[in-house]
Amino acid sequence: MKLDEIAAPLQIPPLGRTAPMTLASVTTTAPEPEASTRLWLAVHLPRFTLDMATRGNAERKACVLVDGEGARQRISLANAEAVRLGIRVGMPLAAAHALGEVLAFMRVPAAEERAMEQLCDWAYQFTPLVAPVAPDGLLMEIRGSLGLFGGLSGLVARLRRELRQLGFQTIAFGTAPTPTAAMWLARARQSAAVESLAALPAALSQVSLEVLDLPAKLQQDFCGIGVRTIGECLRLPRDSLARRFTPGLLLSLDRGLGRTPDPRAAFVPRQRFASRIDLLWEIHHAQGLALAMERLLNELTGVLRAQASVSRHLLWQLHHADGSVTQHPIGLLEPSREVLHLLRVSREYFLRQQLHAPVRGISLEVAQFEVLPSAAGRDLFARREDSAERETLPRFAERLRARLGERALQTLRTQADHRPEWASKLQTVNTSSLNAPAPPAQDLSRRWPERPLWLTRQPLPLIEHDGRPSYDGPLELANERERIEAGWWDGAQVSRDYFIARNQHGSRLWVFRDLAGSRGWFLHGIFE
Amino acid sequence: MTLEELIRRAKLWRAGEVASGEGLSTGFEQLDALLPGGGWPSPGLVEILTAYPGIGALRLVLPALAKLSLLKHWLIWVAPPHLPYAPALQAAGVEISRLLVIDLEQAAAGANSGLPARRAPRRGKRAISSVNDSELWAFEQALRFVDCGAALYWPGQLEALALRRLQLACEAGGSLGILFRDQGCAAQSSPASLRLALNPLAGTQEVAIEILKCRGTPRERECRLVL
Repeated sequence: MKLDEIAAPLQIPPLGRTAPMTLASVTTTAPEPEASTRLWLAVHLPRFTLDMATRGNAERKACVLVDGEGARQRISLANAEAVRLGIRVGMPLAAAHALGEVLAFMRVPAAEERAMEQLCDWAYQFTPLVAPVAPDGLLMEIRGSLGLFGGLSGLVARLRRELRQLGFQTIAFGTAPTPTAAMWLARARQSAAVESLAALPAALSQVSLEVLDLPAKLQQDFCGIGVRTIGECLRLPRDSLARRFTPGLLLSLDRGLGRTPDPRAAFVPRQRFASRIDLLWEIHHAQGLALAMERLLNELTGVLRAQASVSRHLLWQLHHADGSVTQHPIGLLEPSREVLHLLRVSREYFLRQQLHAPVRGISLEVAQFEVLPSAAGRDLFARREDSAERETLPRFAERLRARLGERALQTLRTQADHRPEWASKLQTVNTSSLNAPAPPAQDLSRRWPERPLWLTRQPLPLIEHDGRPSYDGPLELANERERIEAGWWDGAQVSRDYFIARNQHGSRLWVFRDLAGSRGWFLHGIFE
Repeated sequence: MTLEELIRRAKLWRAGEVASGEGLSTGFEQLDALLPGGGWPSPGLVEILTAYPGIGALRLVLPALAKLSLLKHWLIWVAPPHLPYAPALQAAGVEISRLLVIDLEQAAAGANSGLPARRAPRRGKRAISSVNDSELWAFEQALRFVDCGAALYWPGQLEALALRRLQLACEAGGSLGILFRDQGCAAQSSPASLRLALNPLAGTQEVAIEILKCRGTPRERECRLVL
């Protein structure tokens, strides 16, 4: 069917109705678009809702989204696995069930909107102008970002890779000087970039009218007159198009072609992060959460990058099948936004945890963002923080602490005290002890006679034979003795005579005789 | 890669020859002279076997540790049987701010009581295998940590398979791993690069050091040192 045959009846004068007043402003002049220097990248996620619902599970299952109620439930979206089973959009749910095992989801508009906002938070790392397009797309103004991300192809490749890491399987991009046209191109899966307004009409001419998201009635009307593409629609006379169909359509077309301004409210990102992944089935071991954790951390690090921030506290929450929620806060020694590091620490942490009940969902919250320490103090040629593969001590310590417990890592400190057990202390590693350079340890060794390398945790009482102490055989005491009397000022007074002793096996030991109380012999050190 | 490069990498050694890797001097001339490579095999796993405590097993490695700590490498001690004593370490020239101690029993015990956990001076068999596993894991991580110069471990029981893993971890991380074990383990076969047995000599201050195993042929099997 030729367009001209159909176009003719449209030129018949309207049926007595006058044009709406608003039309005048739309049709009179096509203002010179101020947006000509802008370049919009539209990201269309056709299976947004399904991808969000299934992204916590590595195993792929046929999933569909259903609309309607009861017996009239119809498939509105099917993932690749479902399509492979032969399931098509528009099919009744019952028919889909007959084709194979299928998981069905209902749409929850509020949740979708929230998820899209989170995605905008994440996308803010690429450009300061991000706008969500309900229900399954977002727009980014990227003219200024091209240089930083290696041109359009570099940016698109990176977005594609990172969106995959977030769990989106089906991703389409469209690039155009107007946001509306970019979205149309993305929906039509035309990934070739259109960089100038002049090239837009040609690029859009073959795009199906479906991308305009018209009301079903209007869509049918166009079908009825044989108009299927934007190009065909544009060839219809303007005034009659506005009269016979809705003026909104004309406005939308003008916006798409850049004939009229198309303002977009810039999304305002938030300085906090909360995201949740629901799992398709119950998970009994923490290992099963690895993928969901990785996805959430990828999302978090994107948001942190967008805010030039780092975080020190992660709050993991496990949503259990019995309705309970367990909190798992992880405090980091060194704030970070590196996926690999955060993932390692979280993994070590969860390896230690016993799940008291199966898990149905996992969420990650970060309430406080810390500003990334300024780059000013850093060496220009130092490796970039994001690419640092090399593990530093704080990171190493972090990983061990997560697995072994907060008190497992210790450092040695000295103290000017004559009491042997006070002179040297093991101290639990914490944030301050790693970040602040340790005060230079006092070297006490020069002032004192020889000290043993090992100190027993507590003095061990020794058995006496004929007035001589014994440890694995009688001890031979050296002639020199060292008297240590100190601590009367803080209630932990000691008064001891120390000797270096040797037993029959050649073990050199540090023993003392308690002068204050029992007058007994004790082992206090080993010259290992 | 040329053959010389391969040989220099210390991963390749030819039987019957002194290992080509550059050893880390032990600080004892007599011992350096014996050891293929002129010192501790680094990277590599070393086992030091003793029958009794207090005969100088730790003093044997201290000069090397002191040197590593001055070069800003980390020293990581896993499950030491007693408290490492700072004044003595400083006297030996060890930079104690470079020392990290990993102690799980202390972590478990210290959490609720104010008193330090009490441990028998001679390590018996430890019942809790999970503690053992975690220590082993921590030691392996330490060996693989790039900034670690030397990691020391006083293990309970160790299986041959675990030893193999540790040897590989040393090579991967380029670090020196030192295991302090009971002389009873001498009969167990081991993939370690170097195994030494320490025995005090009755009536003298000397300790006999016997090379049970090393890569390459040592010039002598035994030497005597005052530790």
